[in-house]
Amino acid sequence: MRRIVVLVLLIGVVAAACGGSAGGIEVTDVWGRPSPSAATNAAFYMNITNGGDAPDQLVGASSPACSVTELHEMYMKDGGVMGMRPVQGGAVEIAPGATVEFKPGGLHVMCIGITEELKPGTTVPLTLTFEQAGDLQLEVEIRAN
Amino acid sequence: MKRLPIILAVTTALLAGVWFGARALRPYSFHGTIIQSPEPAPDFTLQSASGPVSPSDFRGKVTVLFFGYTFCPDVCPTTLADLAGAMRILGDEADEVQVVFVSVDPDRDTPERLAEYVGSFDPRFVGVTGNEDEVAAVAAVYGIFYEKHEGTPASGYLIDHTASAMVIDREGRLKLVLPFGIGPQDIAADLHELLK
Ligand SMILES: [Cu+2]
Repeated sequence: MRRIVVLVLLIGVVAAACGGSAGGIEVTDVWGRPSPSAATNAAFYMNITNGGDAPDQLVGASSPACSVTELHEMYMKDGGVMGMRPVQGGAVEIAPGATVEFKPGGLHVMCIGITEELKPGTTVPLTLTFEQAGDLQLEVEIRAN
Repeated sequence: MKRLPIILAVTTALLAGVWFGARALRPYSFHGTIIQSPEPAPDFTLQSASGPVSPSDFRGKVTVLFFGYTFCPDVCPTTLADLAGAMRILGDEADEVQVVFVSVDPDRDTPERLAEYVGSFDPRFVGVTGNEDEVAAVAAVYGIFYEKHEGTPASGYLIDHTASAMVIDREGRLKLVLPFGIGPQDIAADLHELLK
């Protein structure tokens, strides 16, 4: 019994290091780039999997490393022109069984007004809020370029 | 009958020779889009923190022009990190490459801010800007589109912009277009080919 408790605790610690799960939602591979000097904004990326059998929605994010956090998507126009905007309806649908990738050129958690330098090899806390699964506490791994 | 293995061995060797020969002769296939009849790259002068910069200053090198803005958290850092990665892969050859980041946000990006920003990716990178008209003229001659649009109160205005990078060869001709997201390996391979 004690061994099981230890094992559960260990799994908890390992999961907290980079990803996390709640209510069928699992978030893995949470990362961002080191902030260039003079940069005011940053983007965070991750994979969100809905292992449950009901749809869920990512409705918000927050981090002490950002003054304001928004959910953004990139769009591509003719001739390789790219831009970004807040996601439609302010939420990202995570269908049952689906994995939604947040990655460069696609979706990102937009970190507006970074409050600290994002240093390679460190982590910053990030809370993702899901309509059904509630809040998920994560750590963003700042990966060297 | 005894000769059969010999014949087989000789045939195999010949076929292998033809195959490897064809492979060696095949021209390099670029990951970016090569411009078939390259024209001289239009020259311009914009300001960096350490003085005026023109593409013609780098004649003899391969020059990569990338247009963006420092408020951009996704496309610009991704591309600059990929270009910095390509520089690392190129090693000593990277000294023959000049990356120039042109800001399409002259209101917010000063030359000093640009120097700090691009220097974080690679100290050899140069960041330039000018007044609104100067930047617009440079973008126009390189076929770069950019347009401001309203963001949220927190983000302020955002700028849609062409995400591909333009590559000028050693002779000063506009030679190659690198699309967004092709990654450091492919960029390094293309630049290496242009440096030959
Ligand atoms: Cu964004």
